[in-house]
Order: sequence, then C-alpha cells, then structure tokens
Amino acid sequence: MAKDPILQVETTCGSLLYKNQIIWDEVGETETDRDKMLLELERECLEVYRRKVDKANRCRAQLRQAIADAEAELASICSAMGERPVHIRQSDQSVGSLKLELGKILPELEEMQKRKIERRNQFLLVLEEVENITNDIKGQGEHVLSKPPIDETDLSMRKLEELNCHLQALQKEKSDRVETIRKHLCTLYSHCSVLGMDFNEVVRQVNPTLTDPEGPRSLSDHTIDNLDAAVQKLREVKIQRMQKLQDLATTMLELWNLMDTPIEEQQEYQHITCNIAASEHEITQANSLSEDFIKYVEAEVVRLGEVKASKMKELVVKKRSELEEICRKTHMLPVSDSAMDQTIVAIESGIVDATLVLEHLEQHISKVKEEALSRKEILEKVEKWLSACDEESWLEEYNRDDNRYNAGRGAHLTLKRAEKARNLVNKLPVMVEALASKTIVWEREKGIEFLYDGIRLLSMLEEYNLLRQEREEEHRRQRDHKKLQGQLIAEQEALYGSKPSPSKPLGGKKAPRMSTGGTATNRRLSLGAGMHQTPKPNKKADQRQVQVDGALSTGRRGLDVAGLPSRKQSMNPCEQLQSPLVRKPFSPISTTVVASKANIATPQQLVPNSKSNAVNEISSFATPVKNNNIIKKLEEEKMMMMMQTPKNVASMIPIPSTPATISVPMQTAPTPLNNNNNARFLPEKAEVIEYSFEERRLAFMLQSESPIHV
Amino acid sequence: MTLVPSIGRELSKPPSDGISNLRFSNSSDHLLVSSWDKSVRLYDANADSMRGEFKHGGAVLDCCFHDDSSGFSASADHKVRRIDFSAGKEDILGMHDEPVRCVEYSYAAGQVITGSWDRTIKCWDPRAASGPERSQIGTYKQPERVNSLSLVGNHLVVATAGRHVNIYDLRNMSQPEQRRESSLKYQTRCVRCYPNGTGYALSSVEGRVSMEFFDLSEAAQAKNYGTFATGGCDGFVNVWDGNNKKRLYQYSKYPTSIAALSFSRDGGLLAIASSYTFEEGDKPHEPDTIFVRNVNEIEVKPKPKVYPNPPA
Repeated sequence: MAKDPILQVETTCGSLLYKNQIIWDEVGETETDRDKMLLELERECLEVYRRKVDKANRCRAQLRQAIADAEAELASICSAMGERPVHIRQSDQSVGSLKLELGKILPELEEMQKRKIERRNQFLLVLEEVENITNDIKGQGEHVLSKPPIDETDLSMRKLEELNCHLQALQKEKSDRVETIRKHLCTLYSHCSVLGMDFNEVVRQVNPTLTDPEGPRSLSDHTIDNLDAAVQKLREVKIQRMQKLQDLATTMLELWNLMDTPIEEQQEYQHITCNIAASEHEITQANSLSEDFIKYVEAEVVRLGEVKASKMKELVVKKRSELEEICRKTHMLPVSDSAMDQTIVAIESGIVDATLVLEHLEQHISKVKEEALSRKEILEKVEKWLSACDEESWLEEYNRDDNRYNAGRGAHLTLKRAEKARNLVNKLPVMVEALASKTIVWEREKGIEFLYDGIRLLSMLEEYNLLRQEREEEHRRQRDHKKLQGQLIAEQEALYGSKPSPSKPLGGKKAPRMSTGGTATNRRLSLGAGMHQTPKPNKKADQRQVQVDGALSTGRRGLDVAGLPSRKQSMNPCEQLQSPLVRKPFSPISTTVVASKANIATPQQLVPNSKSNAVNEISSFATPVKNNNIIKKLEEEKMMMMMQTPKNVASMIPIPSTPATISVPMQTAPTPLNNNNNARFLPEKAEVIEYSFEERRLAFMLQSESPIHV
Repeated sequence: MTLVPSIGRELSKPPSDGISNLRFSNSSDHLLVSSWDKSVRLYDANADSMRGEFKHGGAVLDCCFHDDSSGFSASADHKVRRIDFSAGKEDILGMHDEPVRCVEYSYAAGQVITGSWDRTIKCWDPRAASGPERSQIGTYKQPERVNSLSLVGNHLVVATAGRHVNIYDLRNMSQPEQRRESSLKYQTRCVRCYPNGTGYALSSVEGRVSMEFFDLSEAAQAKNYGTFATGGCDGFVNVWDGNNKKRLYQYSKYPTSIAALSFSRDGGLLAIASSYTFEEGDKPHEPDTIFVRNVNEIEVKPKPKVYPNPPA
C-alpha cells in the first residue's frame, strides 16, 4: 500500500498534531485554548485549501478565457480574411482537456495571424503602389493621404484582387499618359524643328518636369492638357506659316511668269515652290517654316514685286509716250502732263496699281488710235492745204520781188515753182471748200468738233477764207490803183510831158523829189477829189470814183471789224491820201486839177491857228513817197482819217447839233484840252471829227424819221 | 455726245431795233436791256420772261441797275431817267445838252453818273425829286464827247472821242485824278474797269484791247489781269487770259455784231446782245437777239502754261 501523499500528509499532519499535543501538554494549555488553537488550525488549514482551490479555479477560468479569446480572434481573422475558420469550437464537444484544446488552437491562431499579417502586407504594398501611381498621375501639389487607408475588416483575397485590378488600371493609365506625353513630345519636337523654335524652351513652358527625360515627370491632366494645347498651337502656327509660305510661293510663281524670270533664279526657291500644294503633315524639314526663313522668302517676293513695279512704271511711261506720239502726229491735244506725273508718283508709292493704270492707258490708246484713224483723211487734206498755203505765201513774196524775172542761178527753178504754186493757189478755194465740207460731215458724225492742235479746224479755215478775201481785195485795189496811176501818168504826160511815176513805193525815192512827188500826189489826189466833186462825163472816172468809194468802204469795213486783232492791213496808202483832201472839198478847196500850190496851201487854211499842226500835216503828206516805213505809218494815220469818210454820209444828214461842230474846225482849231504828243492826230480833231457808230446811227435814224435837207 | 447749241438760249420778246447795252443785276438774274427802239426792257433771264417795258422819248443808249426794283437810263433825247420796275413807271432825273451816251450808278458814292455828247459828265442824286435843279450834284467838262465810262470803287474812268481818257476819284470830282490818252491808235470803243479795282481795259474800233492800271508804279504793273470776255463786230465772243495774253475760248459765231456783253453776278451766265452796231452804216442785218448762255469754268479759267500757244 503506497501511502498516497495525502495520507502522507495526513500522517504528517497527525504526527504534528501528536507533537502538538505533547507540547501542549508540556505547556499545559487549557482545553479551551487547545480547542481554540485547534479550531484556528483548522480554520487556517481550511483557508489554505480554499486558496488552492481558488487558484485552481482561476487557472481553469483563464484557460477557458484564453481558448475563447483565441477562438474569437481566429474567427475575426478568418472573417477579415474571408476564409472559413478552421476550427469551430463546439461547446459540448470535449476535445479533452482544456489545455489540450488551447494547445490546438494556439498554433492555428498563430498561423492565421501570420497569414493576416502577410495579407495585410500585400494590401499595404498594393495600396502603396496605388498611392504612388495616383500621386504620379495627379501630380505634385495634389493633396494625397500619406497613409493609405486599409480596411482592416476586409482583407479578403477578393478585396486584394480588387485592389490589384485598381492598381493595374492605374498602372495602365500611367503608362498611357506616359505614352501620350511621349507622343506629344515627339510631335512637339517635330513641329519645333520645322518652325525653328527651341524645343526645350517650349517644353519647359508647358511643364518644367518634362524637360528632364530621366527625372520624374508630371503626368497630370493639367500637364497633358497643356502639352496637347501646345502641340495644337504649334500645329496651327505651322499651318499658318505653311499657308503664308505657299501664298508667297504662288505670288513668286505669278511674278516669275509675268516677268519671264530665268530658270537659274527660280531654282534657288525650288524647294519652296515644290511644297506649294503640300499639306501640313508633309512638311517635316527642319527650319522650313522658321520665321527667318519666311522673312527671307518674303524679302524675295518684295524684291520681285519692286522689279515688277519698275517694269510697270517703264511700261506706263512707254505707253504714255506712245499716246503722246499718236496725239502729236494727228494734231490732237494729249492728256495733261500733271495728271500723268501724279499717276506715276502714285504708282511708285504703291497707292495706285500700275496694272489698272496700264489698262486705262491701253484703253485710252485704242480710243485715240480709233479717233486718229478717223481723222486720217482730213489730216492729209489739212497737210495739203497747209503746204498749199505755204506755197501761196511764197508766191506772194515772189510776186512782190521785182527782180523775179531776172535771169540768175536757179531762176528757172523758181519760175517752175511759181507756176506750180499758181496752179496750187488756183485749186486752193476748192481744196478749202472740200476740206470744210468733209470736216462738217465728220463733226456731224462724231458729234464733236474737229480740233487741230486745240483749234477748231473750221475756224482756221474761216479765218483763212477771210484773209484770202482781204488779200484779194488788196490785190484788186492795187490793180485799180495801178490802173489809175497809169491813167494819171498818161494824162500828165499829155499835159506836161513825161514825168516819172511817183507811185512806186519801192522806188527808193529821195527827199529832193519830195515836192514833186508831193505835188504829183496832191495832183493825183485832187484829181480824185475833183472827180468826186465835178463829175466828169468820163465813164472811167466814174468807175474809178465808184472804185474809190468802194475801196474806201471796203477799207472801212476792214477797220471796223473789231474782232480779229491780227488782221493784215493792206490799204493802199496813196488812195488813202485822197481822203483828207476829198474832205477838203467841203471847205474852200479848189476843185481844179492843176492848182497844185493851192492844194498844198489849203490844209494850212484849214488850220490857221495851229501852226505846228499844219506843218505836220503837210510833211506827213509829203513823206509817203519817201519810203515804205513812213507809208506804213501813214497807213494807220489814214485809217484814222478813213473814219472820217462817214462824214460824207453824215454831212448829208442834218444832225441837229453836230453839224455845227463840223464848221468849227474850219474856222478855228480848238486846241485840245490835254497835251497831245501825237500831233498828227490833232489835225483830225481839229478839222474832222471821228464819229462813233452810235453817232452815225442816231444821225441816220433822225434823218429817216424826219428828213431835213442840207 | 450730241452737239449742244453753244450760242445759248434766245430770250423771247427782244427789242425791235438795235440793242445798245444790256446788264445783269447785282442781286439776281434780272437783265436790263436798252435799245434803239426807244425802250428799256427788264427780263428775267432764267425764266425767259419780260417783266417790264419802259418807253422813252428817243433811242436809249445805255441803262443800269440801281437795285432789283429800280434802274436808270440814258437816252438820245438828252434825258436821264429813273425807272421804277415795281411801279412800272419812269420819271426824268435830269438832262444834258446833247444825247446822253452812258449812265452808271456808283454804290460807293450813291450817285448816278452820266456821260454825254455835250462833252460833260454829270453826277446826280438818285433820290432827289425830278429835275436837274434838284438832283444834279455836279457837272464836269470833258475834252470831247463822252463815248464810254466805267466805275469801280471810288474810281471813275471816262473815255471820250479823240482817245482821251480821264480818271476821276469820286470823292474829289473837281478835277480828274489822271488825264491820259488811250495807248491804242484807233477810236476808243469801250472802257471797263477791272472788278478788283486796279485798272481798266480799253477797246478800240481796230479790235484791240489795252490793259491799264490806275497806279503807275512798278508793283502795280505786275498785278493779275484776270480773264475777260470781248465781243466784236465779227460776231464772235472771245474769252481771254490777260496774264498769258492768250485767248482761252471762243464761242460759236453769233448772227451779227456783238453789241453788248454782261456776266451775271456769280459769273455763271453770260448775256450776249447780237445786234448790228452800225459799223458799216445802214445795211440789212440779222434780227436783234439776246442770247443767255451758261459759262463753264473751263471756258473762263486760265490754262496753266503747259503747252505752247496753239496757232491762233
């Protein structure tokens, strides 16, 4: 029999008690005290039992708790990780002792915990990665949580898968962005190259991080948008410049065409003109659209433009001189110079397009050519007429030359020319008539006047006709005068014997001849006067008279026509000399043909008080035979005196008061109020009054109203 | 382009005998016409209507406007008349001893000035009662019969027979400011002062015109002549550039002699009296007509000296 410990203890306890009793006995403890101590002993022993039992209990509870905890934790971990719990504790299932159970659970728990931590780490990794990529994508400056939040309650594989997918998506996005950026950068690089821009600078402006190919780059939307915008912008610039360049190239081609530029010059710009129809993406050559390059091309186009302008200007000047030439040849008035000069200045300063001016000039030239063509026929006739007029004047000169029949060098040629000229002159009236009628027809057709160097041709022809008439009259007068002279000389010869004829104006008469010449003149004049007053039954005389008067009136007409300032006055001076003495018959001038002295004296009688006048008067009568110049002067004098002939008419008409004035000068010579230096005119005032047209007209009117006899 | 009648429009109801003078008013396009048919007629040139006819005792040799409501006339019956257009009657302002040849009204002096063949010029007060005792301000002897006179500002130029020219200052008529002789050799036909008051133009029966200045100093000689029109017995009206001494324009020939010319106040119209002036005595002639034509600037504006003279 083995003594179990408890028995052992009890034994020990008994022995101890025995011992204790012995002690007590020795000590002498009372029974009560012994009891008390025994009781105490028992109580204390009980306490110790109790304590031990509690402890064992507590231990058991702890174990239970531990198991429960472990099971709970396991459950939570499994649920978090989305896995079935491996061990489900059943309350009634006895696995054995608690310690065994715990022993089973704990390793499982440890396992799960380890796995959870692993899982959690995986999550952390993924989340971290996501965070990184998101950071990358969102770019700096974006607020990103530093700690990625992990949902502890969901650490399942599903969740992890989710996160992984997300991560992959993000990674893809990131790589997409990187790719996009790369592509943009490529494009940008290409554009910059073509446009001649600094790629790095451009990129830097978009986002500085992009310039460094190695370093971290911003992949944000902002960056990509900016980059995209930059690319677009550069593309637009490229297109713009390309179009500009193409326009320039087109202009260049046009100018080359216009000016036939040689091929060598064109070759230089071949690389531009070949791209004239290219589209944007086809232009890839570096700097082919840089600003400098475009400026260079522009400069060339401007230069070509200037060449064209100067050529145009040359053309304009050429055309203008062509126009002037045509006008000059056909005697039309050309365009005013100032207008053309202004136009040229305007062309030079680019205000006016030379092409328009050229067109305008061309039109003008063709119009003028048309008109020139229509004028051609008439112009030819005009030339013929003008050359005929020249011959006519030559012939006049020739006829005046007394030496013309002298044989000399070339005399026969001049004779021939004279004959031809005479023929021509005979044809002149017809020529002029034909020319005038043709001109009238032309004017009617065209509706405008035919101008020759700005003057109406018909006016020129009319003037010529008038001149011609005058000339003819003068010729006629000269012929009459010559006839008259011839007669006078014949009569004189009959009376006095032969005397040289004083009438030749070019005879170079000298002074000594004066008196005779004067006498003869006076005689001649008085002859005329005589004839005027004492009508000879001489038909010839009458004719002459008529002619005289007719000539006089013609002459008067020539004077009174107050329209043409440059009329040739072709009065016969000698005839005019007649007039004052013709008038003299009203006063006591002798009517005899012969009384020369009387004739000379008479003027003096007329102006007894004006001594100087008288002298001038006489001398002026004598001088005409001297030389031509004085004759001309006298012509004018006599013309004034011609004015006096109306007095013939006037004297027949009783003017109420004016006749009195006629008589006055006969008796006295009223000195004019003002000092008149032109003494030769004084006698006129003194003895004859120049009547105005109105005075004559009034006299005539009054006569016709109430005729009064002289 | 059709040929436009370039002689102008004919006025209806012209005088029945020669026209001695015609004038445009300073204030409208009324035309006053004096005639040998012893009448003065007032026309409205634009409306081509005759607004009044005033009979005189003798041929009327000159006329002038006072204003649009009255005018003056010079007649061969020796009388100077004042004509009231609106009232339609006339009365006698004064008389000369011989036919009155010219009449002018001076706005500067407020006087009527007449020249006569009695060798005097007389100044009249236009507002005085009728009769020379009341209205005559002064009478001034001339060397010869007065043929033409003209006024500008305070200058009066008198041209007489015998080629005398007297220049007066209206403020001092006691004696002429200058006595001159026409530089033309033939009888003076007409004298007209320049509108700018620097001188006058003289024409002669020969057909020349001389341009004179009042002030004989050097500076005055260099002044502008301006453009002017002349009408001659050849029936042509010419417009001249005095500076260049060239003819600017010649209108188409008129039927007979040009008796008178007048520019309207703005220079836009020219009245032309085509009426035989008896230069060749009595002879058959075209009827007396008045033409009114528009004046183009190109006809009267001086041409720049670009071209040499066209052979005139």
